[in-house]
Amino acid sequence: MNKAYTVGIADMKICRAPGVLVTYALGSCVGICIYDPVIRLAGLIHIMLPNMNKNMQDKNILKYADVGIPEMIRKMIAFGAVQQRLVAKIAGGAKMFELSGGNSSIDNIGARNVESVKDVLRRERIRILKEDVGSNYARTVYFYSETGEVIVKTFGKGEIKL
Amino acid sequence: MSILKYEDINNFELDILKELGSIGTGNAATALSGVLSKKVKMSLPEVKIMDFNKAIYEFGGPETVVAGVLVNFSGEIKGMMLYIQELNSTNTVLECLLGKNIDNFMDLDDIEISALIEVGNIIISSYMSAISSLTGIKINLSVPEVSVNMLGGIMNVPIAEYGYKTDKLMTIGGKFMYEEQEICSNLILMPEVESLNYLIKKLGVSCE
Repeated sequence: MNKAYTVGIADMKICRAPGVLVTYALGSCVGICIYDPVIRLAGLIHIMLPNMNKNMQDKNILKYADVGIPEMIRKMIAFGAVQQRLVAKIAGGAKMFELSGGNSSIDNIGARNVESVKDVLRRERIRILKEDVGSNYARTVYFYSETGEVIVKTFGKGEIKL
Repeated sequence: MSILKYEDINNFELDILKELGSIGTGNAATALSGVLSKKVKMSLPEVKIMDFNKAIYEFGGPETVVAGVLVNFSGEIKGMMLYIQELNSTNTVLECLLGKNIDNFMDLDDIEISALIEVGNIIISSYMSAISSLTGIKINLSVPEVSVNMLGGIMNVPIAEYGYKTDKLMTIGGKFMYEEQEICSNLILMPEVESLNYLIKKLGVSCE
């Protein structure tokens, strides 16, 4: 595990085998693991919000699913990946608090993130092999570039292998 | 001069917020002491404005399991307040309230959940009432919600809510002490930027 590279919030990292990528405690955020099995290139992005607000000048495009994911794919292709070979696994998008009232925009931010991620991946023609999304618990994601395996660690729900 | 972003807050304005923080903590300590019927001491709170990635490590790392109580406030100022407590501190408080220790935070019964919410609620409400009585601003609080999970996941909530506007968090860290035991509490106060301006203006200290 000493080769694990940490991906922060609104952050992205790409590595080759045998590197390991890890992102800690995804709440309503979504971690998207994209893998090219032939050259064993792994990319992990931790997005926070579904869409970029076009009127706002935000330098950190990795915060948003709709612009962050294509950016990671572009970088992975620059590192030798082939778009047709790419596959994805996603985790996160939980709802941490059951807020009553229900008109708050955060109420379903997790679900909206997941929806946006799926939209983007569909547009990019990348298949989602497995997912662990929704519910109400935080997830830590380990992404092994050697095998393309994703391990999701949770509090109380144990480990889930994707 | 009005503030457009959290990072624009100058030292003078930060001092005002610190003062609010320490009045709030004072109130919270009094309230906590009433609930526990014990003498409670407090440390001087620290008000910081920092990046979210940094804030998570400051509070003990993303995978630390904590109890979080979340309240939305509306009225003349709008925003969100999150109270974060480490589990051993939570246990200290609950032991005093319910007379028992909790080993397994995975399944809490209704009374335990209710006690957790109540402690968070008391602390958040006393902050808010301090701000309210100091400024004469009317603030409405929502029903508090609790979540026991990884810190990173819980802190995602205010981060995502204000993600379009800022990459910073305003945190108030403080310690309560009673009978040689320390209760660490961390608060995240996220007023909307317009509300922050309004608040500073109401206090009559806005610098031209």
